[in-house]
Amino acid sequence: MTGTDPIVEVRARYLAAQLAGDRRRALELLAESVKAHGLSAAQVQLQVIQEAQREIGQLWQENRITIAQEHMATSISQLALAQIFQSAPSAAPNGRRVLVACVEGEMHEFPTQLAADTLDLAGFEVRFLGANVPTDSLLAMIDEIAPEVLALSCAMLFNVPSLREAVRRVRARPGPRLPILVGGHALEWSPELATSLGADGFGSDALALLSETRRVLGMPVV
Amino acid sequence: MSELPELFARASRELAFTCDASGVVTWADARAQRLLSLQPGARFDRHAAPGTEAKIAWLLSSALAKEERGWELALVVGGKPATAVFSAAPHQGGVAFLGSLVPEDYGAIVEQVTSAMAEIVTLNRDTARQKKVIEQRHLEVVSLNRSLEDSMRAVKAMHAELEDRAEALRRSVDVRGRVVSNVSHEFRTPLHAMLGLSQLLLDEADGPLSGEQRKQINFIRQGTEQLSQMVNDLLDLAKIEAGKVIIRSAKFAVGELFGALRGMLAPLGREGNLVQLVFEEPPGDLLLETDLAKVSQVMRNLISNALKFTQAGEVRISAARMANGFTRLTVRDTGFGIAPCDHERVFEEFEQIPGPEQARVRGTGLGLPISRRIATLLGGTLTLESELGQGASFTLTLPLIHPEVQEMEALTQRSKSLDPARKPVLVVEDERETLFAYEQYLAPGGYQVIPARTVDEARSVLLRMRPAAILLDIMLEHESTWTFLSELKRNPDTADIPVLVMTIVNKAQKARALGADEFWLKPIDKDRLLRKLDSISTKGAITRVLIIDDDQAARYLIRQYLSGSEFRLIEASTGPEGVRLAQERLPHVIFLDFLLQDATAFEVLDELKSNPRTRSIPVILNTAYQLDEEQVARLSGLTEAIIAKQHLSRELAINRIRDALGGAGLGAHGAQGG
Repeated sequence: MTGTDPIVEVRARYLAAQLAGDRRRALELLAESVKAHGLSAAQVQLQVIQEAQREIGQLWQENRITIAQEHMATSISQLALAQIFQSAPSAAPNGRRVLVACVEGEMHEFPTQLAADTLDLAGFEVRFLGANVPTDSLLAMIDEIAPEVLALSCAMLFNVPSLREAVRRVRARPGPRLPILVGGHALEWSPELATSLGADGFGSDALALLSETRRVLGMPVV
Repeated sequence: MSELPELFARASRELAFTCDASGVVTWADARAQRLLSLQPGARFDRHAAPGTEAKIAWLLSSALAKEERGWELALVVGGKPATAVFSAAPHQGGVAFLGSLVPEDYGAIVEQVTSAMAEIVTLNRDTARQKKVIEQRHLEVVSLNRSLEDSMRAVKAMHAELEDRAEALRRSVDVRGRVVSNVSHEFRTPLHAMLGLSQLLLDEADGPLSGEQRKQINFIRQGTEQLSQMVNDLLDLAKIEAGKVIIRSAKFAVGELFGALRGMLAPLGREGNLVQLVFEEPPGDLLLETDLAKVSQVMRNLISNALKFTQAGEVRISAARMANGFTRLTVRDTGFGIAPCDHERVFEEFEQIPGPEQARVRGTGLGLPISRRIATLLGGTLTLESELGQGASFTLTLPLIHPEVQEMEALTQRSKSLDPARKPVLVVEDERETLFAYEQYLAPGGYQVIPARTVDEARSVLLRMRPAAILLDIMLEHESTWTFLSELKRNPDTADIPVLVMTIVNKAQKARALGADEFWLKPIDKDRLLRKLDSISTKGAITRVLIIDDDQAARYLIRQYLSGSEFRLIEASTGPEGVRLAQERLPHVIFLDFLLQDATAFEVLDELKSNPRTRSIPVILNTAYQLDEEQVARLSGLTEAIIAKQHLSRELAINRIRDALGGAGLGAHGAQGG
């Protein structure tokens, strides 16, 4: 991404609208930029909204915004994601069921929601359980939903033990081996972590999750 | 006043503490110790919410250099998340912090809002997903529709093409049939002349013949006879192929058939009686109802064939009843038989099995094919069992009753009881098959076909009931048909019954002139016919029903029963009003209550019967009153039916009206003419 990249500019304007609490403007400029620059749904999701959210986190860290502002900005991004989900073209349902969840203790739902949306738009039958899914509940949902793939998200490093525990307990289940994909900010620091956890695949963003899901299901990777 | 500072100390959420440059607490005030459990010597960032340690480090390093204000830090206090806002400033090589805990309520509210939003997001995805599925389905339906339309168009095109081909085939079959029958007719005249003239010569009417001449003329005569037979067979075949064969069914015993055959065929027995013609006695009660002439033609053919190909022994004819309503007529010979591989060939036109015997007795090659076709026409089969040198056995299997006769019987039975839910349509048609076709067309459209195969039958049907329409589809060449049409239209009782004339000959003008409501050339389009019937039969026959009853509820009930039927209700609430309306409006049927307030049924009936205009109107007595024997006896002579009110239903009302109309001969009451 260079400075002339329209995405960088769109992201800056989006972030400004978010922080100003102007959700109408934020949505409008996303729609406009899709038209003007021909951005794809995935580009808007990942390179505009998700990056803007990261920046929001950074701004709080630097004490340049308050928690209240952070929440406001996040709610605008949720709205934007909803709009994209609704208007983006969906692939025909492929009938493959994927269970997506944030591990126990993990409160960062946003990037995971985005990954779930991406899978959904690609035709997968996605069940997203949201933030902070206790491992017991996760196991119960696996029995109930019977997914073909499990995707676990972990953003914060201090939640890695909880991720490790979830992978271990899913593996310990009787019955056929369920492919597990892990992803999230925490994994970006250490790609070897995924292997050490015994996961079947690893991805740091939504597109990586999509291609890993296809790979473990033996589907052609587009 | 001394309590005041103590209250502040307890209620205040402000706290102060100092750290050294590495973030280890060096001093904490009482509230910092109480609210944050900060103890000197411990690290401040130990209380950071997981993942936010960096922010504390940032604040610490920044405040070492200059004063910082308004830093929100996420902390964990007693295992629970808490938020505090801090100001910090450099202090003795370390940092002094002054903080304020954000009330827990706010944190809880933010949590609530966040989880509410998560749920809304989930709901939104579900809704959006469902919407997409619906859109997808819609698209699928649309494209399915489109492909259905496409295939429909293709089917239509194919249909049209098939129709064209069928038409072309029909035409060529027609042409072939016409050629065959014309040529055959043309042959017949000279053939008859040759037969006659050769006979004259053989009779030596014009002088004696020499032996050689006689021999030659005999050859000519035999050749001519053969040719003549072939022409006759060809004509038969052409007729069957053109579908012009009409089945004329009659009841007969197989014994009678055998007797007639014996009389006809005995002279064909071989000279010197080397071959015996044996007719076994058929079961005495073996009765057939089918086309006698055609059965006889097939049997004659089989027997003369058998005689031809048998040199010694016998030709035995037998009959047996089979299960399921069939009979078997068998012609068994002791001739030289036919090899199984040739069994089917003998039924093919112009096929003759090669062989010395066959060459000796040449036939036309058409006898068996014609016989088999006739067997099919009769609803049966013609089969052969034979081995070479073992004789042959031909079996004609026939239904005891010709299928058309059975169907006709069923149709006639059905038409005898009128279905109140259907409109009766009188179909005058002499061909059974066409009658069946009409029934198939009309029954699903809510019509009941009343068949009449002759004009006389139609007349007698009209005496007992009144159809909603008449389809006249009989040979219009017959003058009687035209007479019947004009008769219908001249008679005021039937003049308003719509008549549709269906025919193959275009005589539209004549039909219209005689009063036909419609004139159609065949073939008839089923849907068009139903539409036409729907439109004319409703506006056509209207039957007026007068109800005389002082009970408003009883009148209402009848009105409800008759709504939607072809009957129009006229209502009278008193006896005199009823009599007046009967005379004015001349209803087709009267429903009369037994006990009126101002009159009894007897008085009303007396008035009606004493007036010639109303005398013949059938009356149905409708009563809630238990009649005694004498009353019943008196009334039964004056009324068509007596119905107890508690038993009255829609079906009963309509059926009784129909019965009454039928009983009155329908046309006899002169209502239409009045």
